[in-house]
Amino acid sequence: MHRYQSPSPDDAAYIDAVVDRVEASLDESLLPVDIFNDDRIFAAEMQRIFTKNWVFMGHESEIPNKGDFVMRRIGVDRVILVRDSTGTIRVLNNHCRHRGTEICHEDSGNTSVFKCPYHGWAYKNDGDWAGAPLMKDAYGEKLDARDWGLLRAPKVETLFGFVFASLSEDVPPLREALGDAVWAFEAIFNLHEDGVEVLGPPEVFTVKADWKNGAENFAGDAYHVGTTHYSNTLDGFIPGLNNVAVAAHGYDFGNGNSFIGHSIHELIAPPFTLWGYPEEVRSQFQFDRLDDVQREMIENRPPTIGTIFPNLSYLRFPQPYKENEWPIPFTNIRVWQPVAPGVMELWTWEFEYTCAPQEYKDKAYLAGQYGFGSGGVFEQDDTVVWEGIAKAGKSSWAREAGMRLHLRQKRNGPDPEWQGPGRYYESILGEYLQEEFYRRWVKEMRSHKTTQPAEIRAAGIAAGGAETVGTTASTETALAAIAETEKKQGALA
Amino acid sequence: MTSEQVDLTAEQLRHLAEDFLAREAKLLDERRYDQWLEMIDDDVLYEVPIRAAKFDYDEETSAGAFRIRDDRYLLALRVKRLATGQAWAEVAPSRTLRVVGSVIVERGELPDVINVESAVLLYRQRGHDELGDIIPVRRTDRLRITDTGLKLFRRHAVLATAILHTPNLGVFL
Repeated sequence: MHRYQSPSPDDAAYIDAVVDRVEASLDESLLPVDIFNDDRIFAAEMQRIFTKNWVFMGHESEIPNKGDFVMRRIGVDRVILVRDSTGTIRVLNNHCRHRGTEICHEDSGNTSVFKCPYHGWAYKNDGDWAGAPLMKDAYGEKLDARDWGLLRAPKVETLFGFVFASLSEDVPPLREALGDAVWAFEAIFNLHEDGVEVLGPPEVFTVKADWKNGAENFAGDAYHVGTTHYSNTLDGFIPGLNNVAVAAHGYDFGNGNSFIGHSIHELIAPPFTLWGYPEEVRSQFQFDRLDDVQREMIENRPPTIGTIFPNLSYLRFPQPYKENEWPIPFTNIRVWQPVAPGVMELWTWEFEYTCAPQEYKDKAYLAGQYGFGSGGVFEQDDTVVWEGIAKAGKSSWAREAGMRLHLRQKRNGPDPEWQGPGRYYESILGEYLQEEFYRRWVKEMRSHKTTQPAEIRAAGIAAGGAETVGTTASTETALAAIAETEKKQGALA
Repeated sequence: MTSEQVDLTAEQLRHLAEDFLAREAKLLDERRYDQWLEMIDDDVLYEVPIRAAKFDYDEETSAGAFRIRDDRYLLALRVKRLATGQAWAEVAPSRTLRVVGSVIVERGELPDVINVESAVLLYRQRGHDELGDIIPVRRTDRLRITDTGLKLFRRHAVLATAILHTPNLGVFL
C-alpha cells in the first residue's frame, strides 16, 4: 500500500515544473502523460487538492438516525461520517489522539461513543473527548473535551442531502464553491420536495487507474462510448451506441464542474424526455421547483453524466433491466477515490427520488447495477481502458520522449443563445470540458492553502467556532490562539 | 436422469453435486460459455451481494445490495457480450483456474432439489504480464435434478472481500 508523504522542498520544485508544463501544454491542447502515475504528483494532489477543497462524503439518507455512521475517505485517510447525538453531521478523523490507533473498525453502524481499542480513550459521536480508563490515577483530572477530541473536518455542508466536507477552512461556502453547478444539481435532484435517497450501501472496487481519468471521462467524454462500449450494441442490448456522441451536448459550469447532456428522446424514442422517467415517477415531479431554462433542459437534453471537481461524478441514463422491457433511468453517484499513484477505488451508489414507488426503485437499482459497478457491462470496459494510461504515465520511454496526449478535437464554441448559467455547447466533441477539468487541477496544484494543526483548530473551536479561525494560520497566530484559549480557560477556572 | 433426490443416497447426491461443480469450473476455465449455459436453469437467479466490514456476520450482506443480480436473460447477455470480442475487460480473456472445495451437500426441501455449498478460489490472470488476482468466494447453490442432468437455478456468491481487488467481475463466480 502506498505511504503518503508530504512533498519535500526539493519535490516542490519538481511539482511546480510539472504543473507549469501541464498548463503550457493545455494552451496547446495537449496533456503530459506523467501526471497519471507519479509519486510526487500524487502526494501533492493529496496535500493541495483533497485536503484543501470540498470533497464528497455521502448522502444524509445513509445516516438517517442520530448516532448513524459510515466510513469514508478523504485523500488516503479513512474518516467517519456520522450524525451526532444532536443530529449534526460530522466528519471525524479515525485516529485516537492518544497514540493514533484507528478507533472505528466497521463500515457502518450506530453508536454514541467511539472507543479506542488500544488504551480505551473514548470519544462522543461528535468527536469530543469523553473519557479514559483510570482517569484519576492516570491523568488526575478530565482532559479538555475539545482540545483532545478527534480531529474533525472544520467544514461540513450539504446540498440536496449530499454531504461535502473540507479539511481547510480556506474555502467558500459549499454553494458558492460549486457556483453555477448548483443550478444543474437543482435540475437533477430537486424535482420533488422530498429529494432523493440512497438505495443501498456503496459498492467499492480497486481499479489500477488514476482517479483523474474517471473524473475526466465523466466531465465530458461522450466520444469514447461508440468504441469502448460497442459490445453492448453488438450483443443486441442497446442499439446505436456508436452514434451516441452525435446526440450529446456539453454544459460547462466553470471550475472544472461540467455535465454531458443527451437528447435521449432523439436517441431512443419521442417519449424519452426527462431522462425517460415513466409516468409513475414523472407524475410525482413538481416542475414549479425549476426555472424555465431548467425545465426546457431536462425535457430535451437533460444532464446525464457529469463531474464535480475533484472526484465526484454523476450518471443518470435509461437502461433496460429485463428482457423485453423498456429502458428506465437509474441514478448513479460515484467517487474516484485515489489510493496510490495510478490506483483508485471506485465507489458507486445508486439513488432514486424518494417519492418514486418502491417497485420502481427496485427496477432502477437493477438497471443501474447491470450497467455500472464492478459487474457492470459498461463500467468493466471503462476501468480497463484507463489502466493503460497509468502504465503510460510510468513509462520511462513515454517520459523521456515527453509524450503528451491529444486534446485537439475540432471545437465549435458555445451556443450564444444559451439562457442558463455557464456555457452550453451543442456538440460534446471538442474536449473543451476535459480541458477545463485539468485547468482547475492546475489551479489547485498551485494553491498553498493550509490545514491547521490539531491543537490550533481545537483552540479555535473552543474560542468560538471554526468560522472565526484565521484561514492562513502561521505559527505565530497559532500560538496566539492557544494562548488566548488558555487565558479564557484560566478565567473560567 | 429421472431419479429425484429422495431416491438417491447421500453418497450419490454428493457425487452428483461435486461432479457438477467440477465440470462447471472446467467449462468456465476453458471459456466454453455456451456449454456452461446449458447447465443453467431457465429460472436462475445469480447474485453477488455487496459485503461490508461488520461485527456480525449476518449483517455483512444484509443490506439488499448487489454487485450482480442476474436472471437467465442477463446472464446469457453477458456471454453474448464476451463473444463480441469487444468487451475490452476480457480482451484478451483472463486465464482462470477455479479451485472448488469445502463442498457441503444437503437434500433440498423440494424432492428435485439439492442444496450445495462450496468455497472457490478463482485465480485470474489478466493482460500480458500482470500478476494474477485471486477472487475468493463462498457460494450457496441450489441444483435442480432434471431429465437432462443437474441445472443451477440459484447461486448466492459471497465474496470474501469487502473491497474487490480485481478491477471488474468480468469472470463468472
